[in-house]
Amino acid sequence: MQLKVDEMLCSGHGRCAKFAPAVFSLDEAGFNTAVGRVVDVPPGEEDNATKAMKACPERAISDAGQ
Amino acid sequence: MSGRGQVKIVDEHDPEISPERLIERFGRDFFRDFDIDDPNLNEHFHEVIDLMVQKCPVAHSKVGSGYHVFSTEDAVRKIGQDWQTFSSAKGYIPNRPDDQPLMIPVEQDPPNHTSWRRVLNPHMSPQVMDAIRADVAREVNLLIDKFIDRSECEFISEMAGLLPGRAFFIYVLGVPVDDLPELVHDVDKSLFGPLDTRTKYHKKVYDYLEDFMKKRQAMPPQGDIVDTILKGVTYKDGEAAPWDHQVSVVLDLTYGGISTTIYALGSIARHLADHPEQRQQLLDHPEWIENSVEEFVRAYSPVVAMGRTCMKDTQVDGIDLKEGDYVMLGFSGAGRDPRTIANPKELNFAEPTIHHATFGVGPHRCIGSHLARMELAVFITEWLKRIPHFQVKPGTEPVYETGFLRAMSSLYLEWK
Ligand code: HEM
Ligand code: HEM
Ligand code: SF4
Repeated sequence: MQLKVDEMLCSGHGRCAKFAPAVFSLDEAGFNTAVGRVVDVPPGEEDNATKAMKACPERAISDAGQ
Repeated sequence: MSGRGQVKIVDEHDPEISPERLIERFGRDFFRDFDIDDPNLNEHFHEVIDLMVQKCPVAHSKVGSGYHVFSTEDAVRKIGQDWQTFSSAKGYIPNRPDDQPLMIPVEQDPPNHTSWRRVLNPHMSPQVMDAIRADVAREVNLLIDKFIDRSECEFISEMAGLLPGRAFFIYVLGVPVDDLPELVHDVDKSLFGPLDTRTKYHKKVYDYLEDFMKKRQAMPPQGDIVDTILKGVTYKDGEAAPWDHQVSVVLDLTYGGISTTIYALGSIARHLADHPEQRQQLLDHPEWIENSVEEFVRAYSPVVAMGRTCMKDTQVDGIDLKEGDYVMLGFSGAGRDPRTIANPKELNFAEPTIHHATFGVGPHRCIGSHLARMELAVFITEWLKRIPHFQVKPGTEPVYETGFLRAMSSLYLEWK
């Protein structure tokens, strides 16, 4: 599973790191550190990553495979 | 066709939302003639908001120069994110008097807005708020100490009205503790006091905070948010942000967080008082408390709506908008949108993936959201430890006020 985080949309709600701390981390300002990149979801973390994707208020996280 | 006066109604022939039926039920046709200040809205708040998001996702108001209210989560998100088309720099409320100075950063657009947010965000991040969790827990307990033996309290004046101010002024701004009682009192009077004295108290708060900033300027730096604001930012024209903008940032942080958090605390206390089964869920599953905060703010959004001004002709949700038109982002409706949330009127603490726009969307995303979330979760945790079972005092009714913010002015609770 691969996810991408939209650099223009991420505005630092921090929900992603709450639900999937093994997938996403926040920078000093509280924004997703993977903005503008594609993230490989480690095996076993798919559920948490999906939760993070759903909870992001900006819908900034999307499936890179689609 | 011009956007003026247009509304979007899912089914024109639905008798439940005919003008006559709406006037009969609510005293006003809130869909075709919305007014955020009509006392009927306060009276029938969730009925109107729920019906509106389901059946009239774009309402229109004739007040002043008129404005549209967008209620679906999708439209609120699209407008909030598109700051180029929808500007904040002409005021967050419609029909704003021209002579009032703009509030920074809430009434500013990128790139100057971004300059401020970039330096302020690190002081308000989830990591920073985690570090003051134990301090806020102590504040909650000190307040509970004062009334627990009485087996009752007036929740707004004894808890909700005090906690957000204390948490913010002590742990974020670092205001001298001796000044707090008066400052918290004055902020309260400027927001909820008699109308004719609000300006006086607002001025008093402004003067206090400006004076506080001047004193801090003369002191060695402490590396906190006040130093960051005093250091200031450079705007796109190469000029330093002026002093009144620096003071405005402190005021914005103060006022953005007080009444919003008071209402969130009040709604949580009332909901838990009225729903013993949901209280029991949190007693049995303290690990659901953080999720419950998301559900509480989703269902009981403290900000009813805030606005933007269209910078060019555009279309949203099938409504044509013209340059200069005013639009409101209906946060209360967006949190109860059946298109996004399966059972929007139910609070589901076990469901972790709650998607809501209560803290705003786009560049103006609430800078205090992580402070507010932490405060609310700490409040629920500490309160339930000491007062696990409580109810609204029989014979009393919680009192609400509604404007662009939803507010609660009294809530009597009692316990054994
Ligand atoms: C439950 C509590 C709260 C809610 C529901 C809330 C809601 C919001 C919303 C919806 C916005 C977006 C405004 C817009 O789009 O124009 C906002 C912005 C803001 N909030 Fe909050 N807020 C809360 C607590 C706080 C706290 C605790 C603080 C400060 C310590 C705060 C400070 C601000 C500021 C300064 C802004 C303007 C940000 C900007 O324009 O960049 N809020 N808030
Ligand atoms: C520089 C920043 C700010 C200042 C000085 C300020 C000051 C005030 C004052 C004095 C009032 C009371 C007006 C009255 O009813 O007479 C008020 C109302 C209000 N404030 Fe702010 N505020 C600021 C920022 C914010 C922010 C960031 C938010 C959003 C989260 C916000 C939301 C509101 C709303 C919606 C009302 C209207 C309440 C109503 O009509 O019931 N304010 N503000
Ligand atoms: S939840 Fe979304 S907006 Fe928030 S930090 Fe994560 S990616 Fe960014």
